[in-house]
Amino acid sequence: MADLRINLAGIKSPNPFWLASAPPTNSGYQVQRAFEAGWGGAVWKTLGDPILNVTSRFAAIGFNGQRVAGFNNIELITDRPLDVNLKEIYETKKKFPNHAIIASLMVEPKQEKWHEIVKRVEDVGVDGLELNFGCPHGMAERGMGSASGQVPALVERQTYWAKEVAKTPVIVKLTPNITDITATAEAACNGGADAISMINTINSLMGVDLDSWNTIPHVAGKGAHGGYCGPAVKPIALNMVAECARHPHINVPISGIGGISNWRDAVEFMLMGATGVQVCTAAMHHGFRIVEDMIDGLNNYLDSKGIAAVSDIIGKSVPKYSDWGNLDLNHNIVAKINPDVCINCNKCHIACEDTSHQCIDMLTDVNGKSYLKVREEDCVGCNLCSIVCPVDGAIDMIEAPRELAPMTWNDRQTALSVAVECKADVAK
Amino acid sequence: MSDYQQFLDERDKIDFLIQKGCQIYGVREHLNGASVDFLHPNGNVTETLLIGTANGRKYFSSLLISQNQPKN
Ligand SMILES: Cc1cc2nc3c(=O)[nH]c(=O)nc-3n(C[C@H](O)[C@H](O)[C@H](O)COP(=O)(O)O)c2cc1C
Repeated sequence: MADLRINLAGIKSPNPFWLASAPPTNSGYQVQRAFEAGWGGAVWKTLGDPILNVTSRFAAIGFNGQRVAGFNNIELITDRPLDVNLKEIYETKKKFPNHAIIASLMVEPKQEKWHEIVKRVEDVGVDGLELNFGCPHGMAERGMGSASGQVPALVERQTYWAKEVAKTPVIVKLTPNITDITATAEAACNGGADAISMINTINSLMGVDLDSWNTIPHVAGKGAHGGYCGPAVKPIALNMVAECARHPHINVPISGIGGISNWRDAVEFMLMGATGVQVCTAAMHHGFRIVEDMIDGLNNYLDSKGIAAVSDIIGKSVPKYSDWGNLDLNHNIVAKINPDVCINCNKCHIACEDTSHQCIDMLTDVNGKSYLKVREEDCVGCNLCSIVCPVDGAIDMIEAPRELAPMTWNDRQTALSVAVECKADVAK
Repeated sequence: MSDYQQFLDERDKIDFLIQKGCQIYGVREHLNGASVDFLHPNGNVTETLLIGTANGRKYFSSLLISQNQPKN
């Protein structure tokens, strides 16, 4: 059994699986049940001036039989009075002293507002704070959430105000609704953040009903953009975590959030630099008990790799993530079709012929049996055929023998600029 | 002609000049690929090849990198 404990900027938890600030962490009843099920930490549903919600609030997109591939909400922060939440946080912490309870906070961008709420939640014994600069709807129209989170100067200033009075670690939760998340991550660091977390939800409109022409969801015939999350956002979130992890000026721990549904996703986020992960949609879809599989799967994975502690995998893939200009242009892979496994559905041929490089031939052998074959010299190794192939193992992407030494775009541009300079010298 | 055949053709032309002792001494990149200037070892004759294929452009770039590397 590996050691699954994590320490994120001083916040300790028995495992890296935290519930994200959202409906699953709305009350003491829920958080206590979550801890009993095995969750290592919980970020309480965002606290602030209690709000008013609309119905309906959620919508989801299914894809090819998978329900909830993407999830959308127009729910705001907590609608419960602060005192009620604080009492339940206090009781929960007393019952579960070794689990992490983080208070998510959102107030107007005013120094006194931040001071007041930080002091009040710390009085009941939270392990840390998460500043919610990410909620993209509703609260943003009032200058909070992602409206603050999209302006680096506001992120820095509000983080600074929270840090002026905070005694526990401050995590800044970032919005993905920005071109370059490292700008706001850096601002959080400049404001004194002890850690950052990402991502909150992505601006989205789930659909339009073709009969009523109403938005999905709609509130009495009117819609407003919501926040997108769930499995569909995982690649976006993973990239944002990785970009922050490899950024030279962002040197605080990261709590990874966005589409994490199982232990594999969690491992990917940790390899890409997250110290721990937070989960919302997967818990809303399947319930608290999914954490059992997450813990078992992570344990088995670490044991199978001979890794003693989960903290040993943090950031191990970060050095492998770089800019396009540092990739080797002379590395070649080609597709190889395995005729014993191929079912001759021709999907690869159609994809290659219509939309790629026309290098998969439909042939007939001496016995009149049809088969598919890649002309390797024309294959550009794009992967499309293996992506559309419905049968595992029918198409392998294999490394072609290396003909030229490794060369990146950046190497090439340097060599070209030298050639241009030489020519100028010769001309002189 | 397939892209691959065109690449082989371009590679042959480049190899021919290199075997004659020519060196790449100028590259102009444009919308049709790259025009690569080769300088003869005697120093005053130049030849220019238009390299249009992606693999051809990778090929002369790799040669240029090894040409720029200091020889032991
Ligand atoms: C219904 C709903 C309500 C949410 N409310 C909050 C909130 O109050 N505060 C917050 O920081 N994030 C909130 N989130 C965002 C989640 O904490 C999380 O960042 C996001 O859903 C991405 O994770 P996931 O893909 O695991 O769901 C909410 C998400 C959902 C689906």
